[in-house]
Amino acid sequence: MASETGESIRPRGAYIPWDHLPVERETVAGVATVLPVVVLYVLIAVFPIAFAFWASLHNIHTLNPEWKWVGLENYREVMNIATFWGSLWRGIVYMVGSTLIQLVVGLWMALVLNRITRGQKLLTAVVFTAYLIPTIIVSLVALRVFDPPGGVFQMMGAEWFNLWSSQTAPLGSRGWAMRLLILIGSWKFAVFVTIFTLAQLRAIPDRFYEAAKICGANRWQMFRDITLPRLMGIVLVVVLLRSIFMFNKFDIIWQLTQGGPGNATTTLPVLAYKTVYTDQAYGLANAIAVVMFLFLLASAVVYFKIFNPSEEVETTT
Amino acid sequence: MSQKEPPGGIFGLSYDRETGLFEALKLVSTAIIVLVGAWPIYWMTQLAFTEYGTVENRITVFPTPDIFTLNNFTVITEPEMYTYMFNTVVVAIGTIVTVVIVSLLAGYGLARLQFPQKENFARILLIGYLFSPIVIGIPLYQIWRSIGLLGTRVGLIIALSAVSMPFAVWLMWKYIMTIPEAHEEAAWVDGASRWRGFRDVVVPQCRPAIIAAALFAFALAWNDFTFAQILLPQTDTTTFAPGILRAMGQAQFLPDAYLMAISLAMTLPPLLFAYFMQSYLLKGFQVRAL
Repeated sequence: MASETGESIRPRGAYIPWDHLPVERETVAGVATVLPVVVLYVLIAVFPIAFAFWASLHNIHTLNPEWKWVGLENYREVMNIATFWGSLWRGIVYMVGSTLIQLVVGLWMALVLNRITRGQKLLTAVVFTAYLIPTIIVSLVALRVFDPPGGVFQMMGAEWFNLWSSQTAPLGSRGWAMRLLILIGSWKFAVFVTIFTLAQLRAIPDRFYEAAKICGANRWQMFRDITLPRLMGIVLVVVLLRSIFMFNKFDIIWQLTQGGPGNATTTLPVLAYKTVYTDQAYGLANAIAVVMFLFLLASAVVYFKIFNPSEEVETTT
Repeated sequence: MSQKEPPGGIFGLSYDRETGLFEALKLVSTAIIVLVGAWPIYWMTQLAFTEYGTVENRITVFPTPDIFTLNNFTVITEPEMYTYMFNTVVVAIGTIVTVVIVSLLAGYGLARLQFPQKENFARILLIGYLFSPIVIGIPLYQIWRSIGLLGTRVGLIIALSAVSMPFAVWLMWKYIMTIPEAHEEAAWVDGASRWRGFRDVVVPQCRPAIIAAALFAFALAWNDFTFAQILLPQTDTTTFAPGILRAMGQAQFLPDAYLMAISLAMTLPPLLFAYFMQSYLLKGFQVRAL
């Protein structure tokens, strides 16, 4: 292996003028490979985030470029906005609810897709499509099927299950809007979990199960002792990513309900958007954004401390 | 242990009963997945082929000959819709190409070259995901405007590439780690440079990871609403998602049947992608943990 032959086998690149700098050539090459990433990252993450933080310390009317320094005033105001705590709570409900459903449904779909024999490829493709089609299309179809005139789900809910009257649009009703948002979001994003877990399932060699069978394990024991441990690492990562994505979700909520009715589906990203474009308070919106970020950062740190998703690396055989 | 007398299965059932139960559960599950997974796509398809006058008034299940029509698809050739779809395709391709090239390079660097702080670097990249697109989008509007990228497709491609990159880099890094370095060493012994080793040995073996990263970038670009809404204010460069929402806001009458027809057109590329690429894709996602 590499250690026996050491560095001598590694090719020396073409002569570059900065070769005699006090850094290793490999360091230069290594840094060069990640340079494009760094440039893009600075442009899209570091700059905007710094900008948002700076803006959150000012009072800014969205359409007026005049910045008035107010220090931490915006943050005090954020805590006092009547809708802030409600939005945070609704955001948590949306995040936890949809992540849980996605995890359960996604795992279940992956387990089934991995085991069926006929039509596997086609069904997998259909399932994956849910994740790949534009969110706006999911929204358009959902708006269509939950619309009172001619909407099939609206009709079913009203006439078969008596969930709502035949005149109401469930996406516009206080009781149903959030539940339906969670369900519709889960329909699309559960597939994210499926893709990752299915990939892990495919990587488990059949001989493990054959060996377990010879030893007399039943299916539940096989699942518990072979399948589940192999999935744990990726499940921890996927749950982290999905929770973050769902907490930050703006598009599907905006397209389906615009945060309504009233504030029933206003989560923090929607509140931030409304603050920019409806209340014209650009600085305040950025303060909300920074608070969101801090909240997620704290949650992510706690998550890492408890579960440590990086522990599982490099056990593939 | 004798093969004829295996110990009991779940709940003390015999193996045959257990297998039977398992098969039944699998069948029911498959049926539910077909129903839930395929149903919205089926519904969209059948509405797309139904006359819009009918769609507005009653629930149809199948476009029987008396209400069947292809007219809904004429909406695709309308200059406005055609522009939206064309822009989406351009943005998606641009994003995929950028993401794949950049993440291949960085993934190789992280996996094979030693330089200080590289693990921390990869972790810091992922922190970017803690910021909502809406939060990044609003400041980006100001930044793009001042450097002249506002309203250009290139601006959106850069934004979307940067967003899908941390994940793609991470994927590529972990994938290249699974390729034995000995393959490259063989090439080096034959006198290949590091670059040739990368190009001729590593890149061809990375095909599953490339497809997985490409798919992730494609999903992001094809899906994107928030960035396009903020960064492409003019109609002539905008993409499908904000475009169609604006068109719905402006047009007095954009029938649902038309919307379903155009949605179907936008659904076909992902469906084909998922069908033909899935085995590579799943192989590419076989990396574990952060």
